[in-house]
Amino acid sequence: MNRARKGAAAAALLLLTAVALAAPPTGQVVGEVDAKGLTEAVAREKGKVVLVNFWATWCVPCREEFPDLSRLQKNLGPKGFALIGVSTDFAKEAPAVRKFLAEQKPLFANYHKKTGGDDQVFIEAVDKEWGGELPFSVLYDRAGRKSKTFSGKHSYEEYEKEILRLAGK
Amino acid sequence: MRLARLLMVAAGVLVMAQTALAGPQIGAAAPDFTLTTVDGKSFSLAQEAKSHKAVVVMFIATKCPYSNAYNDRMRDMAAAYAKQGIAFVGINSNKSEPADEVVSHAKQHGFAFPLMKDPDNKIADLYDARHTPEIFVVDPDGKLRYHGRIDENYEDASRVTSPDLKNALDSMLAGKAIAKAETKAFGCTIKRV
Repeated sequence: MNRARKGAAAAALLLLTAVALAAPPTGQVVGEVDAKGLTEAVAREKGKVVLVNFWATWCVPCREEFPDLSRLQKNLGPKGFALIGVSTDFAKEAPAVRKFLAEQKPLFANYHKKTGGDDQVFIEAVDKEWGGELPFSVLYDRAGRKSKTFSGKHSYEEYEKEILRLAGK
Repeated sequence: MRLARLLMVAAGVLVMAQTALAGPQIGAAAPDFTLTTVDGKSFSLAQEAKSHKAVVVMFIATKCPYSNAYNDRMRDMAAAYAKQGIAFVGINSNKSEPADEVVSHAKQHGFAFPLMKDPDNKIADLYDARHTPEIFVVDPDGKLRYHGRIDENYEDASRVTSPDLKNALDSMLAGKAIAKAETKAFGCTIKRV
């Protein structure tokens, strides 16, 4: 009886762990990334169309488009699409980032840009044409090649059109 | 087939080059403009440039945390460089930040330099200014000499290691070439709608 109970508990634990691993990491920052780490995160999604969105809690247009990004992940995820968020908030704003993500419960992973270093190096590594304005998004095709950049806030439809164009290939 | 692919690549490169050349380039003529300051005076870039050793055109905002992180630095640099013949001006191109807000923000932060609104973002478009704060330095001949950030550390002025705008201005005053004439930093998108 005891053995059966232990077995059931272990199975439940395994199931919970599996669910936790499979579930999208919502409501929290999954880690810090520099330019190299971000490249690796995009590479891990190879085979999918990937949109990387750079945002900050204080950036009003970033906040405005955030729910649409979740909607994109929900609706286009099954078609082979993955969204990666990168917060560029000041280090001291970490509590605001946690609060924002807890409220938004995004359906995609969010990183924090690694603190320290020269932002120019990060900005230029992401895209030479990026001036540093937020929000900013970069779309990669299924092979991990950069396909398009989006400066400023864009609508659900604008992102969807480009994602579907690449996903259909 | 190969030719078609080559042509497509070439077209892509051309589009990217055109995008990159949207704003004035370092060493080329900075677009001239005339605006009315928030206290009702006329401001002509060409005239100001001719009568100064340089004009520092700053696209700034009232609500952007990145721009606001530099309020004290902008105020202090403007005062310090005014004594050396360099003029600072602030342009607010954000549609969502009206002139009366620009005036009260300037009072609150002790800005003594001219400030102007940029109706319909025309000047921001001329310069391809994308975010705040974003700086353009124009010499007496009307040429763009520096474009980018004030420095690399928005969070802590006491720990700046790359005072890029200061270095550029000091180089101009000393008649030397500017080592880093283009720099980048994060900022708030200029709200054009």
